[in-house]
Amino acid sequence: MRPGRLRAFASRLRELFLGRQINQDLQEELREHLALAEAEHRRRGLSPDAARRAAQRDLGGLEQTAESVRDRRGFRVFEYISRDARYAARLLRKAPGFTVAATATIALGIGANVAVFTLADAALFRPWPYPEPDRLVALWETYEGKATRSVLAAANFIDYERENQAFDTVAVYQRNEGSLSGSGSPERIAFEFVSVGYFPALKTLPVLGRPFGSQDYVDGHAPVAIISDAYWQSRLGGAANVLDQSIVLDERARRVIGVMPRGFRAVSDVGREGPAAVWLPSAFRPDELTNRNDHEWTAIGRVRAGVSLDQAQLDLARISAAIARNAPEPAQARAHVAPLADEQVESLRPLLLLLLGAAGAVMLIACVNVAGLIIVRALARRREVAVRLALGATRGRLAVELLVQSAVLVGLGTTVGLAAGWVLTRWLASIAPVAVTSVQPVGLDIRAMAVAGGLAIATALLFGLLPLRQFSGVKPVFALGGLARGTLGPGSMRGRQALLVLQLALGVVLAVGAGLMIRSAMAISAVPLGFNPDNVVAASVALGGRARYPTLQSRIEFFETLRDRIASLPGVRAVAYGNQLPLRGSWTSGFIIEPVGGEARVQASAGFQSVSAEYFDVFGIPLAHGRLIEPGDRTGQSGVALVNGAFGRALLAGTNPIGRVIRRGPVMPPIRIVGVVGDVRRGGRLADIVPQVYLPATQPELYSLQLTQFAVSTHGDAPALTPAIRAAVWAIDPDLPITNVRTIDETLALQLGERRFQTWLFSLFGAIALVLTTVGIYGVVSYAVGQRTPEIGLRLALGAGRGRVLALMLRQSMILAALGSAIGLAAAYGLSRYMTALVWQVSPTDPVSYLQAAAVMIMATLAASLFAARRATRVEPSEVLR
Amino acid sequence: MAPDKTDVAQGTLALMILTTLDTLGPLHGYGIARRIEQVSGDVLQMNQGTLYPALVKLEQEGWIKAKWGASEQNRRAKFYALTPRGRKQLQAETARWSRVSAIVGRFLKPSAS
Repeated sequence: MRPGRLRAFASRLRELFLGRQINQDLQEELREHLALAEAEHRRRGLSPDAARRAAQRDLGGLEQTAESVRDRRGFRVFEYISRDARYAARLLRKAPGFTVAATATIALGIGANVAVFTLADAALFRPWPYPEPDRLVALWETYEGKATRSVLAAANFIDYERENQAFDTVAVYQRNEGSLSGSGSPERIAFEFVSVGYFPALKTLPVLGRPFGSQDYVDGHAPVAIISDAYWQSRLGGAANVLDQSIVLDERARRVIGVMPRGFRAVSDVGREGPAAVWLPSAFRPDELTNRNDHEWTAIGRVRAGVSLDQAQLDLARISAAIARNAPEPAQARAHVAPLADEQVESLRPLLLLLLGAAGAVMLIACVNVAGLIIVRALARRREVAVRLALGATRGRLAVELLVQSAVLVGLGTTVGLAAGWVLTRWLASIAPVAVTSVQPVGLDIRAMAVAGGLAIATALLFGLLPLRQFSGVKPVFALGGLARGTLGPGSMRGRQALLVLQLALGVVLAVGAGLMIRSAMAISAVPLGFNPDNVVAASVALGGRARYPTLQSRIEFFETLRDRIASLPGVRAVAYGNQLPLRGSWTSGFIIEPVGGEARVQASAGFQSVSAEYFDVFGIPLAHGRLIEPGDRTGQSGVALVNGAFGRALLAGTNPIGRVIRRGPVMPPIRIVGVVGDVRRGGRLADIVPQVYLPATQPELYSLQLTQFAVSTHGDAPALTPAIRAAVWAIDPDLPITNVRTIDETLALQLGERRFQTWLFSLFGAIALVLTTVGIYGVVSYAVGQRTPEIGLRLALGAGRGRVLALMLRQSMILAALGSAIGLAAAYGLSRYMTALVWQVSPTDPVSYLQAAAVMIMATLAASLFAARRATRVEPSEVLR
Repeated sequence: MAPDKTDVAQGTLALMILTTLDTLGPLHGYGIARRIEQVSGDVLQMNQGTLYPALVKLEQEGWIKAKWGASEQNRRAKFYALTPRGRKQLQAETARWSRVSAIVGRFLKPSAS
């Protein structure tokens, strides 16, 4: 824009806002003009009356002049727009059916997109919640000959920290759980051990107090802790003197030296349910400083400004090479870096991107429907448009009016859509797997609003300009009667059919996705667990490390007492305890199978579990052969074990395990196998069955597994018993924290959360697509029937049967359905590789899902067309041909 | 329209306003209108109302600026004055106008060339 134009624009803008003042000034100026002219006319000898009339005549009318000046000033277009908006609102009120249908459809599209975007934004797009997040990297090692990533050994970390030139800071952390005791009931919390560079690397320091300094890492220094804002507020009541207080974590008092800012998230919080509440200085054990094979520490780094990732990687490779030279090891470590944000959410990317795609498809389908409605309405207005053109309206004015009408409609839809999106977001956040929602808080924010706004503008333009095309052929002369009735020309009819095919194809793609998800979910739920998860509630207690339970025997005594106490509660069927329970961890160990006959000793590995006698009753695991663990299997008696069916199949070549003897090591006590129980999927429905050994908890000398968990089988409402169970624990030991109190059913559901989430969403989008597409087809077919009523009447009059007429009307929509399905199936096939990560035991090109999707779409088309075409069969030839 | 009266063409009105303000200095709308009619020897019969949109346009372009002052009858009136940019524009327009009228003049009197 040249400067003069710009100045005029600015001046107009100012006038727009000074409107009232400028109008008054103008009136005054013009009145003065008339007064001067009148005075002059009187000087020339006219009478006062004649002078006034002459002055008026010379000026050409006060109001006309004022109007033409106003046209020059400001932007008249704003006045037009507000007038058009009122007119548009009136039009919408006059057609409530159209308004509701279009608003709901737009709202559905916008709502779905806003909700999915909000979720994806929190996990994928939004910048990481630390300053300058793009310089934050995750750091790990790989070892020669192994593909798996390895976290760092402390010794290697120290070298990277000291020798690097490419980083501002390199730091490590390790997440742990601990018991906080002291005031109130004991609590299990998550905390992080962090190296001194952790907070500087995140560029986030405590708001109160100080970060860790090197003195905090010196052995023998007073133990210190930094706490989260949430912990400070909830547990310490936000006390101002918090820095003088101590917290007791795992029975050790630690002075609070800092409080992190509100909303600060620990790096390890991603994918975890609860945020870390406490940070402790990482204390490396002396042996860790020399042993480079002890990989325990997860590393992050902040790359120096201006240093690329490749340079940082090279810098670390140089250090890895030096480590290998100085401390030769069997395997050579190689360090890797990648942006921390990408690294932490990599596994979520395919799911969230596919969901965004699905939401986009829903939006497109919705737009096609609304566009169809708008085109039909535009046709009905062609005569009105012709009249207005004849009366001198410009096409530019008409375009503004149509855009305003579309904007009002879309604005309405978007408002409703945002409300729907808000509700949907809350629902999604509640069912979304913790991996998605733990990255950053999920909430409808300005970014989601911007997405809604962008979609709204695009759709408003689309819907505004579409009818303009319908009017392009309208000439003012039509107003004189040239246009008998509004009909779709062959061109726009084809356009509508193309849109319908697109809609059908998108619908088929979504239906294929939903089908794959549902079939995966069905395959998963059909997998037998091997145990009964119903009405069982489980919990963990951590006796280890507590001074009250110094010996294995004291821990067994605790659990025996606990078992008896809980078993006496009303509603309890049986109680069992063990080191681990199904879905709650596993423990694998090597052992020796004693040979029978002349063969050699066999080294093998299996899952080991230490359980009480009631375990198999509580979980409904059947006995196949031999006997179960009995109360008499105690220390002092000969060592016994049970195995599962897989044990015999995998390790004993299918021979009977009963009577065989195993040992944990050459000098360990012999363990005789006395029974075989049913196979169990310990890790849940997605896990494999592995050989398993069950040892009696009361024979800890066989293998001292830490007893930590117990399970309660009930006669009904298991969750209702939790308070009584907690009370039973605290009656024995008031300082003992109870964690992970959950029914086994809940744990199963949690485990499948991600899959259930994706199944739900794809099914939801598939269903929306189906409904919208059906409505769209209905609209197109009923319009076509309306258009062809005279033709149908003629055919009937000439003797065509009503069945033939119906077939005629159906033929076209079935052709479109076939075409749309074919395109949709091809598209779904093309997209199938992105689905691989999301399906289970079902191929992403599973023919059943594909055929189902196409069949459902074609059936829906048939049903909608039949419903719409019924009218054709009721045409009375005598009526329409008159 | 009477044959001896000429309508004011678009664009030339702007030039006339600028010239008027250049010769007479700050003037109110009525003064400008009268002056243009007088200079044209009352041949130019203008609808004085058309003057005002033209004044707004010149003001928006920044060639003239308006200020409230007192009229001959001692009432509040809006006075328009040429700005430095307006003066420059006037020179450019004048030069262009003379060039065009010289060319047109040559076409109208071909014998003289």
